Amino acid sequence: MTRNISRRDALKVLGAGSGLLLVHCGPIKPPQGEKEKSDYDWEKHSYAYVVDTTRCIGCCACMRACRAENDVPPGVFRTWVERYEVDEAGEVRVDAATHDDFVFGTTDTKVSKAFFVPKLCNHCKKSVCNQVCPVGAAYRTKDGVVLVDHDRCIGCGYCVQACPYGSRFISPRTHMAEKCTLCYHRITRGEKPACVASCPKGARIFGDLRDPQSEISVILKQQRFRVLKPEMGTQPNCYYLGLDREVV
Amino acid sequence: MSKYRHAVSVFVVLGVVVIAAAIARNLAIPDTFGEFGHYRGAAPAQAREFPLRHVGADVCADCHDKQKSLHDKDAHSRVPCETCHGPGAEHVKAEGDAPMRRPTAKSDCLVCHQRLAARPGSFPQIDADVHFAFVGVKDPSTPCVSCHDPHEPLYMDRDVRTARLHPAIHRCRDCHQGTMAEGTVKPERHPVTFECNYCHPAIVADFAKRTHAHVACTTCHLYFRESEYAGRIIRDADPRFCLLCHRAAPFRSANAPKTIDWPSHRDKVASGPTDAKKGCVDCHRDRIHTVGTPVRGAVKGAQL
Repeated sequence: MTRNISRRDALKVLGAGSGLLLVHCGPIKPPQGEKEKSDYDWEKHSYAYVVDTTRCIGCCACMRACRAENDVPPGVFRTWVERYEVDEAGEVRVDAATHDDFVFGTTDTKVSKAFFVPKLCNHCKKSVCNQVCPVGAAYRTKDGVVLVDHDRCIGCGYCVQACPYGSRFISPRTHMAEKCTLCYHRITRGEKPACVASCPKGARIFGDLRDPQSEISVILKQQRFRVLKPEMGTQPNCYYLGLDREVV
Repeated sequence: MSKYRHAVSVFVVLGVVVIAAAIARNLAIPDTFGEFGHYRGAAPAQAREFPLRHVGADVCADCHDKQKSLHDKDAHSRVPCETCHGPGAEHVKAEGDAPMRRPTAKSDCLVCHQRLAARPGSFPQIDADVHFAFVGVKDPSTPCVSCHDPHEPLYMDRDVRTARLHPAIHRCRDCHQGTMAEGTVKPERHPVTFECNYCHPAIVADFAKRTHAHVACTTCHLYFRESEYAGRIIRDADPRFCLLCHRAAPFRSANAPKTIDWPSHRDKVASGPTDAKKGCVDCHRDRIHTVGTPVRGAVKGAQL
């Protein structure tokens, strides 16, 4: 009894066989991970952030608090404050208190208008950084926070390049991508992010959009706001009040 | 059978490769990957485990209730404790043994109060040189806390809500009586922000004759802007407010405002028990301006 198997048939069988094996072993239905230990339910929250630029005094208390709370290494920033100075001729001068003393010095610009703009990760609904991560280390939680999984990150820096807001950096300490977490460890325990908790002028407002009575829900309902770089289509979740056209 | 040997060996090799690849893939992909999305399902819970460093003012108040209540009634009431003192988790954990930051340098205050063009105009800010010249401080390194207690920087004993609501920008009709004639236009160089003497000419004129003439109205009548149109104005007659400039201190220069020692000054001149409660303006009213001048005067030439 002879039976000739053509090469094509052999490959077909092999292909189907390995396919089945992969389906069986693959991540389609992975084993369930450890269930949430705390009673925190992320389905019940949707966090957002409002920056009222008209209130900011540029004291950079937020930057100091962020550094202390999150152990951010020197030279890199999860949040920062920019100063815009527009002179009589309409020339715009921008600087940031990026030295580690976080103090804005005096300038000799003859300004016609000047203001501070605090910045941080916008926690975009369509975050670009997540889409480019090759190892699934960048993700957005169900309660609306874009985070980095430091057990997965390989420090390739794609996300750093992809972010249109410059919110990410490679940590000189861990050599992994790092960014604002909205103080995820605080907000999930009912606290405010360190930058919000330390702001003396209430220029930074954080809250839950699922709660219609929260300050942030009321502000977004009643006030006029803008987002940064809306043309990027990232759908930022960080809203700015009193933002000048020079910034957007 | 031997004629299938080549096929069997191919099957075996490919099978081994496929199984090895599947095992390698399974090892490379973490257990909880894909549970909620294209990421490790256990990662968010891990991110939540990070310890808290800032404890919040309520925790501070558990031990430092005196400072907290003092702080809460004054202008710094919205400045959280940890904004100046740094995060308190370790201090709390060590039950007070780990020291907190106690910022006392001039530069610590100027982080917020240095005059900068970009700061909102309603926020109190100074040029240290100008301010020191004004109050007669000779040593430029004198820290702000020599005069201003950071927990009660302005001695604002009154609740800001009970202070007088004061307009910042007037409507036409506040000054101009009658109906607007047709074709009324905004006069050229019409002020947008009004100055004190537009409405209070009698008091301003009276004040200009007194020894305090070089002091701005808003130095004592603290003004807190609430909106584009209104703010709160506070008249602070607390003696401690006068002493901000007039307290005797070694760092004052010779041309400083006249200084006194308090309360020994009051005790010296007191003649009875009622005098023991007197404040500066009870005797020195003539240095400022008289009371009883019309609060609101007619604006000169305010006719449409």
